Amino acid sequence: MMIAMLGMAVGTGNIWRFPRIAATNGGGSFLIPWIIFLFIWSIPLIITEFALGKAMRQGPVGAFQRLIGKKYAWMGAWVAFTATAIMFYYSVVTGWCLRFVVASVTGAIPGSKPGAFWLSYEGSLSSVLTHGSAILIATFVVFRGVKGIEKASRVLIPSLVVLLIVLAIRAVTLPGAERGLNFLFTPDWNALADVQVWLQALTQNAWDTGAGWGLIVTYAVYMRVHEDTTLNAFILGFGNNSISLLAGITVLCTIFSIQPDAASSIVGAGNNGLTFIWIPQLFKQIPAGQVFMVIFFLALLFAALTSLISMVELVTRALVDRGLNRKRAIVTVGLAGFVFGLPSALSPDFFTNQDAVWGIGLMVSGLFFSLAAIKYGLERFRNSFINPSGDILIGKGWNVMMYVVMVEAVILLVWWLSQTISDNGLWDSLNPWSSWSLGTVIVQWSIVLACLIIFNPYLVSNKSPRTTDEH
Amino acid sequence: MNTDAIITMIIITGIVWGGLVFLVVYAMRKEKDKTRE
Repeated sequence: MMIAMLGMAVGTGNIWRFPRIAATNGGGSFLIPWIIFLFIWSIPLIITEFALGKAMRQGPVGAFQRLIGKKYAWMGAWVAFTATAIMFYYSVVTGWCLRFVVASVTGAIPGSKPGAFWLSYEGSLSSVLTHGSAILIATFVVFRGVKGIEKASRVLIPSLVVLLIVLAIRAVTLPGAERGLNFLFTPDWNALADVQVWLQALTQNAWDTGAGWGLIVTYAVYMRVHEDTTLNAFILGFGNNSISLLAGITVLCTIFSIQPDAASSIVGAGNNGLTFIWIPQLFKQIPAGQVFMVIFFLALLFAALTSLISMVELVTRALVDRGLNRKRAIVTVGLAGFVFGLPSALSPDFFTNQDAVWGIGLMVSGLFFSLAAIKYGLERFRNSFINPSGDILIGKGWNVMMYVVMVEAVILLVWWLSQTISDNGLWDSLNPWSSWSLGTVIVQWSIVLACLIIFNPYLVSNKSPRTTDEH
Repeated sequence: MNTDAIITMIIITGIVWGGLVFLVVYAMRKEKDKTRE
């Protein structure tokens, strides 16, 4: 179970997204809030999700409904929807991994010019094809069972970690690599006054660890009653952040070694392919690099697939909880995944927009988890759901953390709102058509929230949850 | 590398990687104790 969960959480969030977001947000300044949020956001929420899934034996919608009542099912639906919206473009990223496996086998990468292959591929019809293949594979695996993928992941995910360690060692020994380390670890204290750095640090930590996604709730449904959730939560959080840090060091040292003045070109938007562009360049520098590159992208593909599979499973689970036949639910999720992922496959701007809108949406999901626990009664939740199954007993610190999570989300949202309006003016901030603006986030969140609240009665299920220790 | 970067690197990697090693060792010892019981 733990390997399956690590497979779910160790994925492109660590290897593709972390180096990109760390670079975009100034490197060193970003790491400080990022590490703080591991303790005051991700770990408390992972503990909550584990406990909730194990106690309620239902996906997020059913779990919220059973915990705090039918009229709050929409909160669980928001969690499930956010993960679904991420799934739409995550499938595109999984497709990129697939394309890079093929390209590394055929020798199309690494080319003589870094980025040439990426630029010819991103947003092309080939990207649509690989996106379709990724969602098809994930849907098929959920349909047929995850045994084969689990077996492959047992070998490939540890091999991905080993390869990453080897790559990191090579990257830090490249000439000029210290420029990358300086970029990644030198904090600019003034940048900490920028809300974007904090917002992206929280979002990235949630992306790294899977906190607030609802995926852990879904996995915990299948956990044994006496499985220790607290220790698992800590290992999941620290394990994921360790991989992210390793990936960040590897990618940034490689970039700065090859392109000493990279700081100006990688800070800011439009660097979706950072890892895909620079990792092949690093493989050029090691013996038998082409072979290792095939293994690396294959392992990355499997890491991405295990995460995508868990997202397909989450949405399927939510539909099955509402009474839909499992086969129909899987086909519906597969088709929706392909259709709604198409704009992200074809347009890098749309992709950036969705990554920003639903990445920050995870903050609202985390807020809902904390509100649900507070409404249920923190003492009651901790004593009934967390501590009975744990080797490590959680104290009142967790109660405090749930309030901290709530306050963090509210402060960040208000700070972001006020800083964006004061920096860009009201009308520019509220432009809903921009690929990254307050307006685009508000409009998309409002539409989804309004629909979920209006249709709340239809989200409510009267089905009994699993109550036995089935798995 | 500059001094600020070295200090930050030691703190961040120490917390993250050090924390992971501690947790894995702790989990393994716990597992060993359980099998002994």
